[in-house]
Amino acid sequence: MASRIWPLVKLVSKVTIAGGAVYVTYDSGLLGSSEQGSVVLEKAKVAVPPALEEWIKYFGLEAQLPTMPKIEFSPINSWNTGVRWTISSLSEAPTRASEYTSQGLQYVKDLIK
Amino acid sequence: MSEKELGKKLDRCLADGVVKLGTGLGLGIVFSVLFFKRRTWPITLFSGAGLGMAYANCQHDLRSHYLLHTSEQEQ
Repeated sequence: MASRIWPLVKLVSKVTIAGGAVYVTYDSGLLGSSEQGSVVLEKAKVAVPPALEEWIKYFGLEAQLPTMPKIEFSPINSWNTGVRWTISSLSEAPTRASEYTSQGLQYVKDLIK
Repeated sequence: MSEKELGKKLDRCLADGVVKLGTGLGLGIVFSVLFFKRRTWPITLFSGAGLGMAYANCQHDLRSHYLLHTSEQEQ
C-alpha cells in the first residue's frame, strides 16, 4: 500500500513545488510587461545587498569571507565613454589616415634624396 | 518618438531582458531538477523562452508609439 502511494506523493510534491515557483514568478510581475520587469529589477538591486550581508552575518561567515571593496564603477558611464571614443575615432580616421600617408610619403622621399 | 523616449525604452528593454533571462534560467533549473533528471535542455528551453518574451515585450513597446488606439480613433 505504502509502496503504491509513495510515487504518487513524490509526484504531487514535485508538481506543487514547480507550480508554486511558476505562481511566485507570475505574481511578482517577472513574466509581465517591460515596465513591471524594470520595477522588479530596481527592487532586487535595492533588496539583495542588505539581504546578502544579513545572511553572511547570520551564518558567521564575516571573518572567513574577505570584505568586498566598494568600487566606484559605473558600467553605463564606461559604455557611453566607449561609444563616444569609438565614434570620434571613426570620424577623425580619414583625416588622420591622409596625414600619416603624406608623412610616410615625405619620409620615403627624404630617404630617396 | 524623441531620442530621450527611445533611450528610456531601450533601457527598459535591456532590464526586462535580464529579468526574463534570469527568471527563465531559474524556472528551467527547478523543472530540470524536479522532472527531467538534471538534464540541460529544460534550462536552455526556459531561458530561450524568457528571452523570447523579453523580445516580444520590447517589440510591442517600441511599436506602441505608432499605434492608434480605438479610443483616440473615436475622438
